[in-house]
Amino acid sequence: MNWNSRIRCALVCLGFTALFSVFSFRLVYLQMVKHDEYAGLAAEKHVYKQAIYAERGSILDANNEVLAHNAPVETIVADATHLNNRAAVIPLLEDALKIPAAELLEKLEGDRRYIILKRAVPEAIAMTLKEKLRVGNLRGIYFERDSTRIYPNGSMLCHVIGFTDFEHHGIQGVESSMEEYLHGQDGYRYIERNRAGQEVVLYRGQERTPRDGYQVHLTIDLNLQNIVENEIDAAMREYTPQKATIILMRPQTGEILAMANRPHFDLNQRQEAKPEQMKNRAIIDMMEPGSTFKIVTAAAALNERKVRPDTTIFCENGVWNVGGRPLHDHKAYADLSVRDILIKSSNIGAAKLAISVGDQKFYEYIRRFGFGERTGIELPGEIGGVIRPPQHWSKISITRIPMGHEVGVTPLQMTSAMATIANGGKLVTPRIVKSITTQDGKTVSTFSPVVLRQVISPETAAQIGSALRGVVSDRGTAAAAAVPGFTIAGKTGTAQKVDPKGGYEQGKYVVSFSGYLPSENPAFVGLVVLDDAHTTKPELNYGGLVAAPIFSHIAEKAARYLDLEPHEELGKPPVAGRVALTNAPRR
Amino acid sequence: MHAPRRKAFNSVNAVSLARWIVITASLAMTGLIYVYLTLQLHDLGDRKKGLENELTSLRAQNDVARVQIEALTSRSAMQRRLKEGYLKMVSILERDIVRLNSTSRPLGEDAVQPVVNKRAGR
Repeated sequence: MNWNSRIRCALVCLGFTALFSVFSFRLVYLQMVKHDEYAGLAAEKHVYKQAIYAERGSILDANNEVLAHNAPVETIVADATHLNNRAAVIPLLEDALKIPAAELLEKLEGDRRYIILKRAVPEAIAMTLKEKLRVGNLRGIYFERDSTRIYPNGSMLCHVIGFTDFEHHGIQGVESSMEEYLHGQDGYRYIERNRAGQEVVLYRGQERTPRDGYQVHLTIDLNLQNIVENEIDAAMREYTPQKATIILMRPQTGEILAMANRPHFDLNQRQEAKPEQMKNRAIIDMMEPGSTFKIVTAAAALNERKVRPDTTIFCENGVWNVGGRPLHDHKAYADLSVRDILIKSSNIGAAKLAISVGDQKFYEYIRRFGFGERTGIELPGEIGGVIRPPQHWSKISITRIPMGHEVGVTPLQMTSAMATIANGGKLVTPRIVKSITTQDGKTVSTFSPVVLRQVISPETAAQIGSALRGVVSDRGTAAAAAVPGFTIAGKTGTAQKVDPKGGYEQGKYVVSFSGYLPSENPAFVGLVVLDDAHTTKPELNYGGLVAAPIFSHIAEKAARYLDLEPHEELGKPPVAGRVALTNAPRR
Repeated sequence: MHAPRRKAFNSVNAVSLARWIVITASLAMTGLIYVYLTLQLHDLGDRKKGLENELTSLRAQNDVARVQIEALTSRSAMQRRLKEGYLKMVSILERDIVRLNSTSRPLGEDAVQPVVNKRAGR
């Protein structure tokens, strides 16, 4: 090889070396220096973070009857960059989703990659559409599994259960208060899609499995709730009140067995409900309780040993001028025992009892019964009511508060106070959630009864209970609350309705009855409140005549359901009823 | 004078050639196995995806059926059926009820418990 050949050979080699060096440097630059940037760009194109949604937990009653659960639906989405035949896709979507073609065309224009076409599409429709797209080899339409909340009992217990928004977050009732348990934890998975938009399973990335929401078991017994709902509906038909509330509670544990309000709404049609229908009046409505509040007054006086049950008090023959304003009884009474003050519901007698206790002490007892603070029930939006401290009382407050005026209490607080009497003087926190379990039944949390305090002694509670038994007798104001075969203790209340503009509304009353059964060993405490009930004659609009019979109907059916044994000597027990199939053989 | 012409032959190193053939064949086989296994993985991935879809679909169908069952057996539905006459309330007389959980008598009493149903008690 001569010199020229060698030089040429070397030059060619050098040229190749230089060329491959450039390539190598470029490769190193791309693979190492720019790696993250280009990998990110590539991932943006093909890698998606796919959410794996956790299933929201169910809500069940005390007997595991389903109150709220999920139904599978699909969210139909489109990726405009993957659409291979818009003209063919649009008629299919129009037909299946009932969306006008023009609207679809507008949505699918451009190159947006995530277009929500319709939410909550039933599974059957989604399956049919999926099949049609597959047959037509049409790409770019995707189906995301979702769920919608279903409430099998419609309007029953609507204020307690509450509902969720379209992102499955609870916004009312137990759905809201138990959100952290019900919601669960969503999972995710990084996936890659090919040019056709199909997932390349081989290149699945990091994954986190979802944790489904827990099941929430309520203390509500749907059988008792059903009884209450039927009776409140009957009361609405008969008395057409503006509002109504009924609560049943187990005094020993504070468990709410039933809670119903009117007006109400259908949970499955919640978008049509008005705000007024959505209020859980048992915990967010304030009322002047009227004479049912006299149990607090009598309890304070007896517990402070200012009086005994048989101590007689002069009731001024029906009118007592105190603080420059007359205080009336509905009948003229002269001397009444403390027991009879409750039985006859004497306002003057109650006022004198409160005076004997004193402003500060009486106020303390009101607070000890739980008024003026939230009960702590697991429901959102509860209010504490209004109890003014003695320094803000007027001269006549000590004569008006004992009969349930000048105070604002919630129906639940009133039920809780009656439960305190039924429970030997112990104030127990009302609760509506019994336990939390996983989907397969493992207990996560159990809510135990919480005794807040001993408000009055068991002896005082027994003395009040004895007087309240007299209320539900021929001598008392609530003879209509009686249930054959059972002894009932209770107290009526009739309060003039407070005008939001100030003062009281003429001719409008809030009538109530609160009681428990059987009085010797209470199985439940109940409260019936009707706001502005309409009776044939205005003079019939009293708690004892309107609310007490409703309580009687409920108590009778509830006693039968709870299998409480009637005392034969107290009257012929009612006939029990059970549900049976019509074609079942009869004996 | 020129030397007598001889037929020229290139000698072939058979061992080396065989080595190269084996190496090439091995590489080719490795490549083919790699492609085959990759395709198998893709296929398995597709089958996995198919099974997942099937499972999801079955779960969804199960959920739909559960929802329908609950809708048909809910309290509201039962009450509607009661009104429509599919169900009927049959009264059970007090004398026909045997009470086992008597509340008014102390528990653990070592005696025959009286029952409301007098006939059953006899």
